[in-house]
Amino acid sequence: MSDAPKRITLEQWDLQYEKLRAAGAPQPYYGGPLSRHLKDGDRRLLKLSYDNSAAALRLWNLLLTEEDRLHEARASGRKIVGTMKDLGTVPVMAYSLKNAVAFYPDGAWWIPCVMELGAGLLEIADSLGIDESFCPVRAMLGAFVTGAHFPLPDMLVCSVGATCDDFSAIAQRLEGLGPEILWWEMPHRREPEPDEIAVTLPGGFVAPKRQVEFVKSQLQGIKTALEELTGERLYAEKLSEGIRKANQVRRCLSELRHLAFTAQRCPIPALEMLIAEMLAIHFCSDRQETIAVLTELLDEVKARVQAEVGVLEVDAARIFWVNPVADLQVMNLLEDCGGRICGTEYLFSHALDEVPEDSPPLDALAQMALADPMVGSSIDRAQRICADISLFGAEAVVISRIGGASHCALEGQVIGEIVQDELDIPVIEIEVPPVTDSMRPTVRTRLEALVETVRARRRPVPK
Amino acid sequence: MFALSKTVLYTCPYVPAEWIAAHGLRPCRVIPDSAGTVFSLAGREGVCPYVRGFLAEVTDGDRAGAVVMTTVCDQMRRAFDIVARRCELPAFLMNVPNTWQTPAAQQLYVDELRRLGRFLIRHGGKSPSNDALAAIMLEYDATRTALLEARERLSALRYAEEIAAFGHDGPDAVTGGYRGSLEPITRVPLAIVGGPLMKKEFRIFEIVAESGGRIVLDATESGERGMCAPLDTEALREEPLSELARIYFGGIVDASRRPDSQLYEWFEEKLTERAVQGIIFHRHVWCDLWHAELGRLKDLIDVPVLDIDTAGDFGSEENRTAGRIGAFLEMLQ
Ligand code: SF4
Ligand code: SF4
Repeated sequence: MSDAPKRITLEQWDLQYEKLRAAGAPQPYYGGPLSRHLKDGDRRLLKLSYDNSAAALRLWNLLLTEEDRLHEARASGRKIVGTMKDLGTVPVMAYSLKNAVAFYPDGAWWIPCVMELGAGLLEIADSLGIDESFCPVRAMLGAFVTGAHFPLPDMLVCSVGATCDDFSAIAQRLEGLGPEILWWEMPHRREPEPDEIAVTLPGGFVAPKRQVEFVKSQLQGIKTALEELTGERLYAEKLSEGIRKANQVRRCLSELRHLAFTAQRCPIPALEMLIAEMLAIHFCSDRQETIAVLTELLDEVKARVQAEVGVLEVDAARIFWVNPVADLQVMNLLEDCGGRICGTEYLFSHALDEVPEDSPPLDALAQMALADPMVGSSIDRAQRICADISLFGAEAVVISRIGGASHCALEGQVIGEIVQDELDIPVIEIEVPPVTDSMRPTVRTRLEALVETVRARRRPVPK
Repeated sequence: MFALSKTVLYTCPYVPAEWIAAHGLRPCRVIPDSAGTVFSLAGREGVCPYVRGFLAEVTDGDRAGAVVMTTVCDQMRRAFDIVARRCELPAFLMNVPNTWQTPAAQQLYVDELRRLGRFLIRHGGKSPSNDALAAIMLEYDATRTALLEARERLSALRYAEEIAAFGHDGPDAVTGGYRGSLEPITRVPLAIVGGPLMKKEFRIFEIVAESGGRIVLDATESGERGMCAPLDTEALREEPLSELARIYFGGIVDASRRPDSQLYEWFEEKLTERAVQGIIFHRHVWCDLWHAELGRLKDLIDVPVLDIDTAGDFGSEENRTAGRIGAFLEMLQ
């Protein structure tokens, strides 16, 4: 275990880095002081607080060097596959090939936050008619136009159908600008009818076998396209091996989440947990390193839990968080207000559930894709949230609205009502834009009020 | 008014009215008056006004026997959850694929029609024979053909109203006998392009006429663009359900399609054929699918475009809309 766990600033991290270096702590190939990323324009880093462990430093460095890795992959002749929208499925296929690396252009979602709007990507999206009535993923359009944030992929794959309108519309706008897109259909997950064969998907949702087969046929088309792109056959054994590796990541995360959300003292801050969860989606362009980073983080967390130490007060209000935050700083803010994260549904729970290893690999991936909380009804999603709230013992829920997102308009209401009906715990909805500075007092007040409500509910009712 | 309890409500053009009618039920395409109010959604930002209006109509009382919605856009897909939770009405969500080029997507649509059929039977419908389905398809096709042929003899408003009446009440609602003379087009020919219009928004046709223009192409979802392709009678004889899928899934172009190339092929053809000089692009706020098409349209079609976004309260927006249409037409004249 590192020093006594605490949250520190970027400046403090640089001092801590020197200490680590002087002590001879090994650094990975992408290691270095965190503040060096400021020169890339990542100004938000100055305003965040970080976990002080070496494991967290490695996690941040892996995240912030993805672009370099993609350029290296290109230089070494590997094919870059831009996988859009499915959050966790096609990358498992791509990483099963020696010659391909996958990444999510969707990740540009966070560029306006990390660069504090300094990259001008939203302005480019505006100029293409994609204004602030769309979700922050519109930054992706700007990133493609400037070519400054990732190398242009050799192939673009995008799922449509039961997806958000924002992404579907923006991806179509992107295709109109030149890049070709391989579209694949993701049907809305539905209940099986009485005479249909039902399949229980990873995570517990149920779908008709017919839908699993349909998705499998779509993935088969992607597999063929990947083989053509890379000139390499994606045999079932390779894909099974890819699934096993993905499951290594998922198992590690599952243990990490369980410890982080249930330990008496919160062993790791919410922000580092958010980033750790995101690694499951596409391994940050280095699957092996992702496994190593998460393993180190898990070891750190285990040691902290065993030593009964943590980064927050013991009585922190236990909050379940729904949807990712466009401004990473809000994760810090929750903790500043006396809360801690005890459960999350960041739109990609299916990327955290283990992929079945006892089914033929494409079948297994199809099941996983259909388990996406966003391809089914908001009612299903709410049920899963309720189950996880009970599992992790959360005392309140924050539904973080994503400005412009087509799903947020109606689903927040459904999720809020179901959670309140079934669990009778407080729920608030807040909107989080990419940079919250101007509305920070409002967000703070609402989070403080929620924490206070949770604490008040803990007090015994006077007789 | 929805007269019969066996009425099945829908609004998406990819729901074939013939299929519902063939099950002995009464299809009724709902076109909301305006955004309306759904008590539980009051104050929720980000909801498409058309979705709001549809929800208000569907959740208002027990005037119908069932409702069919589709997955064509995310907002409607999510609206289904509200209906499922708030409404006693049996509700069916039909998967309509966004991709359209593969046999798998086409087959999925056919499978969904079959599933819809089973739903209709569970809720009072009866399984149609092929002959019964074919007869109904022929009747609808004849009415549609008559309507399309009548376009030039009708004012743009009347044409839109006839299409709406056909959707709402079926072939019987279409008065026919459009024997008036062809109206010479002396006004500036315009197209209106976009998602569906709500009834109060039909006033736009009059505003255009009052300002010296004429809508010669109603490319909204509630207009000509939302009408399916003509029947192939030979294919109908062979397999009516497949032919039904072809004319709807294969015959209606839309912004939700991926890729959306068919939409632009259709625009090119119709805009040229009707010598359109300007486009009124009509979209509901928070509708991402149509909003994003605005930029595409401007890139791809070399005709001046007027963008009108609406929050679904035409009463309060009428003056502004009229002023903008007037200025647009002045610019074109
Ligand atoms: S945040 Fe929501 S609206 Fe935006 S791309 Fe993701 S799923 Fe779509
Ligand atoms: S107008 Fe747009 S958002 Fe509204 S129902 Fe139609 S496609 Fe969906």
